[in-house]
Amino acid sequence: MRSIFLLDLTQCIGCEGCVIACKVGNELPEDVTYIEISEQVHGTFPNLSGGFANHRCYHCTDAACVNVCPTGALFQEDELTRVDSSLCSGCQYCVRACPYDVPVMVDGVATKCDGCRDVTKAGGTPWCVQTCPSDALRFGPRDEITAEAHQRASVMREKYPSAQVYGESQTGGLGLLVVAPEDPDELGLPADPQVPFISTVWQDIVKPGGFAITGFSIVAAGFAGIIARRNHMKELRELAEQGAAPSHDGHDDGEVQQ
Amino acid sequence: MARVPLEITRRTLLKSGLAAGVAGAMATTAGATRSPAHADIRDDRWFDDGDVETTYNACDMCPWHCGVVVRTVNGVVRKIDGNPHDPKSRGKLCPRGQGGVSFMYDPDRLQAPMVRTGERGEGKFQEVDWEFALDLIADRLNTIKERSGPEAVAFFGHTAGDSWFAEHLPQAWGTPNAAKPSTSLCISPRDEASLMTFGFPVGGHEPLDWEQLECVALIGSHIGEDARNTVMQDFASLHGRGGTIISVDPRFSSAATKADHWLPIKPSTDTALLLAWLHVLITEELYDVEYVEEWAAGFSQLAAHVEDKTPEWASEITDLSPEQIRETARAMGEHAPKSVIMPGRHVTWYGNDTQRMRAVMLVNAILGAYGREGGMYFNDTPFISDFPYPPYAIAGSAGGCAADPDDGDDDDDELGELAVGPTGKARADGAQDTFLQGPTAMQELIEPMITGDPYRIEALICYGVNLLHSVPLPERTKEALAELELFVAVDVLPQEHLAWADIILPEATYLERYDDLYTMSHRTPYIALREPAVEPAHDTKPGWWIAKELGERIGLEAFFGWEDIEEYLDDRLRSVGSNINDLRAQNGVIIQEGKPFLEDYEGASPFPTSSGKIELYSTFLEAQGLDPLPEYEPVEDPPEGYFRLLYGRHPVHTFAKTQNTPELYELFPENELWLNADAAADLGIDDGDYVTLTNQDGASDGPIKVKATQRIRRDAVFMAHGHGHASPGLTNANGKGASDTKLMTRYNLDPICGAAGMRVNFVRLESSEA
Repeated sequence: MRSIFLLDLTQCIGCEGCVIACKVGNELPEDVTYIEISEQVHGTFPNLSGGFANHRCYHCTDAACVNVCPTGALFQEDELTRVDSSLCSGCQYCVRACPYDVPVMVDGVATKCDGCRDVTKAGGTPWCVQTCPSDALRFGPRDEITAEAHQRASVMREKYPSAQVYGESQTGGLGLLVVAPEDPDELGLPADPQVPFISTVWQDIVKPGGFAITGFSIVAAGFAGIIARRNHMKELRELAEQGAAPSHDGHDDGEVQQ
Repeated sequence: MARVPLEITRRTLLKSGLAAGVAGAMATTAGATRSPAHADIRDDRWFDDGDVETTYNACDMCPWHCGVVVRTVNGVVRKIDGNPHDPKSRGKLCPRGQGGVSFMYDPDRLQAPMVRTGERGEGKFQEVDWEFALDLIADRLNTIKERSGPEAVAFFGHTAGDSWFAEHLPQAWGTPNAAKPSTSLCISPRDEASLMTFGFPVGGHEPLDWEQLECVALIGSHIGEDARNTVMQDFASLHGRGGTIISVDPRFSSAATKADHWLPIKPSTDTALLLAWLHVLITEELYDVEYVEEWAAGFSQLAAHVEDKTPEWASEITDLSPEQIRETARAMGEHAPKSVIMPGRHVTWYGNDTQRMRAVMLVNAILGAYGREGGMYFNDTPFISDFPYPPYAIAGSAGGCAADPDDGDDDDDELGELAVGPTGKARADGAQDTFLQGPTAMQELIEPMITGDPYRIEALICYGVNLLHSVPLPERTKEALAELELFVAVDVLPQEHLAWADIILPEATYLERYDDLYTMSHRTPYIALREPAVEPAHDTKPGWWIAKELGERIGLEAFFGWEDIEEYLDDRLRSVGSNINDLRAQNGVIIQEGKPFLEDYEGASPFPTSSGKIELYSTFLEAQGLDPLPEYEPVEDPPEGYFRLLYGRHPVHTFAKTQNTPELYELFPENELWLNADAAADLGIDDGDYVTLTNQDGASDGPIKVKATQRIRRDAVFMAHGHGHASPGLTNANGKGASDTKLMTRYNLDPICGAAGMRVNFVRLESSEA
């Protein structure tokens, strides 16, 4: 079944049940989480408002991580972005391309939330959704999730006048719609997430041409050079500063050495 | 701060006595049953590794005991989830419940019985076998009983198996000195206040009819940080449908972020607010007139009592505006009777807590909430028979939570006789002397260990209570432990107090054992199963086995008339037409029908008070020379340069129990000190700085990391309880953060229920290195 997530930040009470359910269910290594929860409180005592923000994969439709991935480790399936870490070359392009700063490197390979692919394929619900005691997470067909998100936002406007649904338009529609109690920007959710130029070019021009893995380093190096000259994106500045040489965290598989 | 080492000599001791035991080698690492380590990202999944076996359990990561399903593959527990059929978990689980796998596979777990070879507190032990340890304990207990009577032995118990150690064993043995921290250090004031007002205690699960509730007021209840699963679900449901939420808290808590009204009250002044709420509800006739006429007694006295308790009066005391007080009272009244003050759980704050909780009960009473849909339902206990056993040597006063010195005669306002043990001694905690009544007060049993007044408590069996991190005045506790003839600790982890134990008995975790059935008081009373998912790790044993083996060695074999726990469970289940296999087939729970609402009583009174009415005015308290209606009593304010020390919960931890659990430790390794950001600036302290805390008596602890925040008043600081462990055996948690308990060098004794009000300590801050 093709399903997407609903994350209702008006409901999230910050207990982190989702974080641990995800860690245990997905057997994530120490110090790796696919969800981070942070407090978002504004104002001065006693005039305060806010709640909790989530940092997690938003499952873009026009997904920069998928677009830049040279090996197919990141791919799109059933409206969500998936990861097959066994295919990852460790290039870190996804890490740099993601407008939400989501993929992380673990022992030399990229990883992130894959929507509990294997669990859902077996008919289950993603671990985080299954456990959430605050009714802040749902998983279901896009039309149902979209309707529920708007319904929730409309009820919540009584309590939170700026309550709104985030994610219907961003990157062609997110696979995780957020009910935000306030301006999404305050919650680290950009109104117009910038998909880095590199990823669109890669997707539209380079990738369709195909390449052999041995040729990848040459292409990537040239790419980095072009981008560095353009010099207009933070991610790419980082890339340039590091001489376009991805760090391998001691995991040297030699495929993308410059 | 003295760090107590826990040196363990692995089992070499022959059964030739302790003198030969020599301390030596450091603890080796645990091993056999650890979850397969995973240093990298797996592309395959654990549920594809083999057949997934499912067992049913009642979670023991907090005392809420949610029903869970445990998934095991190839003999390794891999995942725990809420049991969808369980009335408490409803298929969901909190972070601690999710961390249960990690709790079980904690490499720091105790592995085998041990006897002390060094001085008390030194932490030197020798591993022994179970037979040796149990024989030794029995021998010492029998000697003490012969010399001083069974009353000289105290039993403390907490967590899932405490029915064996704080109820069954002490009552069979004959001591009234059995206590649980969950009463006099937690809910006693609430349950005694409810008992005096409605005729029954609130009970484990606060019986709010959340499904139809429209308005809730929280007095310090920090739902979300206090991560009781069901309550988080219910609170979310109320919030999600637009219900009204009032949060009274000196801190902008997680729950306050969801509130329509946040009342940042001056700590210790809640009773003034409650009296002003009563004033507004009564003077503006926002209360349920018909309900009060039919079901309540003493309304006119109450009305007269609060006549001058105006919002203006309370405003001066509470730091809240009269408008805030009126507005919130009106919100509550507008939704009556679907409007309730949540009774809360940990309410032992200032020593006058029973009276504050009486005020809470009075608000709920005049809102007409009890027995009404959308208000509070009547909890019911499920029907099931006990396994037959002879009459207890002492009943009623033993057993911690269940204890009450009242003789059960509700027709008068006299105090009942205190039950006495076989040699004529009543409980040593000062009941009916320094306080009136209520469950045995654990903290009041410490002093008799030192002074022998009213008689010496010579032995302590401590099951699962983290003594030095739950009972205030921990230095006094250490002194008491040093005085004991015999100190036995049953635990899962090498907690700090174990260094004082003569004998340590390592218990199997909840995932490795059967336990007694969970008989849950609830709207739909129910019975839940705990069955092992895997065999006990190392040389650990289930609590029931330890209790039975010990009982059989101290002459109590008639109280354990079953071969094994399965026989015991099947016998009990037979009374409800079931057995273990049937219960398993029914998803681990048997749900019965309750009588939740007034109409279920067909006109009869559901309030078992002497008058059959809700006693707004307490003639019982009056007869004891105490205030029949709650008064606001000021408590001492922090002196210049000091902050009131408040404490509470963090959602990923329970008490002082889970800080070492690897998955939970990773998320919250050390507690933080919430300090008002402006106060921090005045002190030159930045967010993230470390400080040492020193209290009014010179006790200090830390360092602790400062969270400089606008989310708390200037006159108080707050920390999550249960950190600041000083036990090297807890590899993760040792020395991380600060202990609130260590900063509690005083408490105010509640004159009604004997609870310890612990929010009467003040701290100053000094910069420190991390």
